[in-house]
Amino acid sequence: MSNGDEAILEVRGLKVGIEDTPILKGIDLRIPKGEIHAIMGRNGSGKTTTANVIMGHPAYDVEEGEILLDGENLQEMEPWERSRKGVFLSFQYPQSIPGLQVGNFLRKSVSSVRGEEAARGSEFREKLNQAMEELDIPKSFLSRYVNDGFSGGEKKRFEILQLMLLEPRLAVLDETDSGLDIDGIRTVAKGINSVVKETENGALIITHYSRILEHVNPDRVHVMIGGRIVASGGPSLAILLEENGYDWLEEQVANGVDFE
Amino acid sequence: MDPDSVYLSSEMPDRADHLWKYTSWKKAHPTGNVREIPDTVSSPKIVLKTIDGSSLPEGISLVHDQTEFDDLPNEEIITKSFMQSVTEDSKFTLSVDPKFKSAIPIVLDIQSNGNYCAAHLCLKIGRLAEFELVTIIKGECEWFGLMRTGSTGEGSVCNDVFVNKLSKGVTLRVESISIPRNSQFKSGTVSSGSTLTKADLRFRMFEPGASLNVLGSILSAGRMSLDHHIEIYHDSPETFSRLDWNSACGGSSKTIGTGMLRVSKGSSGADAAQLFSNLLLSGDAQADSIPELEVSEHDVVGCGHGTASGPVDENQMFYLESRGMSPRESRSTLIAAFLNSTLSEMGGDLMHGWLVSELEDDLNELGY
Repeated sequence: MSNGDEAILEVRGLKVGIEDTPILKGIDLRIPKGEIHAIMGRNGSGKTTTANVIMGHPAYDVEEGEILLDGENLQEMEPWERSRKGVFLSFQYPQSIPGLQVGNFLRKSVSSVRGEEAARGSEFREKLNQAMEELDIPKSFLSRYVNDGFSGGEKKRFEILQLMLLEPRLAVLDETDSGLDIDGIRTVAKGINSVVKETENGALIITHYSRILEHVNPDRVHVMIGGRIVASGGPSLAILLEENGYDWLEEQVANGVDFE
Repeated sequence: MDPDSVYLSSEMPDRADHLWKYTSWKKAHPTGNVREIPDTVSSPKIVLKTIDGSSLPEGISLVHDQTEFDDLPNEEIITKSFMQSVTEDSKFTLSVDPKFKSAIPIVLDIQSNGNYCAAHLCLKIGRLAEFELVTIIKGECEWFGLMRTGSTGEGSVCNDVFVNKLSKGVTLRVESISIPRNSQFKSGTVSSGSTLTKADLRFRMFEPGASLNVLGSILSAGRMSLDHHIEIYHDSPETFSRLDWNSACGGSSKTIGTGMLRVSKGSSGADAAQLFSNLLLSGDAQADSIPELEVSEHDVVGCGHGTASGPVDENQMFYLESRGMSPRESRSTLIAAFLNSTLSEMGGDLMHGWLVSELEDDLNELGY
């Protein structure tokens, strides 16, 4: 449900480095309410940095630019404050935390983001059960430790389970499809759609492949090369890119081709 | 010779000894004058109960003024004779009938009394008994001494957890436990009490099929110094032991974990491993871990040891903060998780739930 001009996320002229090495060299990105956008790009193009910087990772220095969520500047906010404002990052490599049980972690997360009431009672349990069922996650999962000994697929499903429970305004999904088989991608895509489609929330999907995009139908696709968004267009851009490769795209961009 | 004479005629321990390297006997002694045995050591108040307040099942009892125990090899003569002297009027035996079973953990609630307080507790566990035991010490004394000795029964399964909740002072803890054929014994230590702790814990597996898990969840803050020495003896074939010791230390506190694993000649098929992990919560905190091995048998399944120390992981912090938890809550959650890794192995769900609640209280009290 796209809602015209109002943007959930607006990134303006973002320049970011780490230990004096420039990584993002001026990113502009705008995600209107209810839209799903995708970023594609080679390894090292700055996709994961973009995701981490939106979440407020302390390792990166923002040299220039702004990140606005619903018009509010996130720049001075800590990661936990951004999370409470509605930003969610699905990690490419989620951290394992031995000793912290999944059930306890989910309760703490929901309580922190959506308030104590949301993490209590039958409503929480019902929502949790429903989300686990949709993602094909067994009940025994709740007593395991966070990401400890999880397979690649389990880690990605667990990230989406958190997404479904936290109901963020903006979901940033960093290569959530990598390491998943076809069924896994379908299940994960279903979870993403349930949080974003038919709502006024938004999502930014970072991926190498068009497979997941077939299931979530992004409104816009952006391509990053060398720390810049070099091309933007509709969903067909993802297919063109996968068929022809990044060298072809760079050539097209150099020749002034517009993918809009 | 009576214990007083044994103690007073013994040579005082050298700081070069493995056991006394970090916390001298002078520091662990009630008065610091190692040549005296104080005559003002009181007996604590001990109550035997269940963890949930339900009535105590039949087959387990605490009897005053009785102790009997087997000597373990290489026992520290100083602490043993000293503890025997100061517990002359404070001896208790926990008797557990053969085939005793309890789904509800049993609690030995020990309340300190007076400035100096001590007890000798003998465990007499019958064969095929299955139960969980929490020994908790509480109070405000300046010095507390606890000696636990005894043997588990053949084929018994016992999860035994010691919790130190003393608000201050010095704790001296001495344990000598023998583990017979096919007996499974778990010994957990949860410690965030006392300003100074010196513990000398010794376990001996003397028949085939004996199994031992030693687990520690240690939390220190301020200027606390918590020193645990653990000796494990494999004195029979086909014996199994694991030592997992997690210490989280903050402020300018210090935790020490020294392990000695001895596998005697003839203990073929022994399987043993020791791991000390330390979480450093401040720049001034100090954690020392020294696992040692003495393996005299070449036909073993494995005998390994390791140690790891580090601060709170920044990536884990970012992960939790990205889920809305404040830096303080994230840090506290990670400390609790670190300690829970061993805590969760100490017993069943009921005991674990109780221990987690105790841990959360401790984290709050110590300002984490």
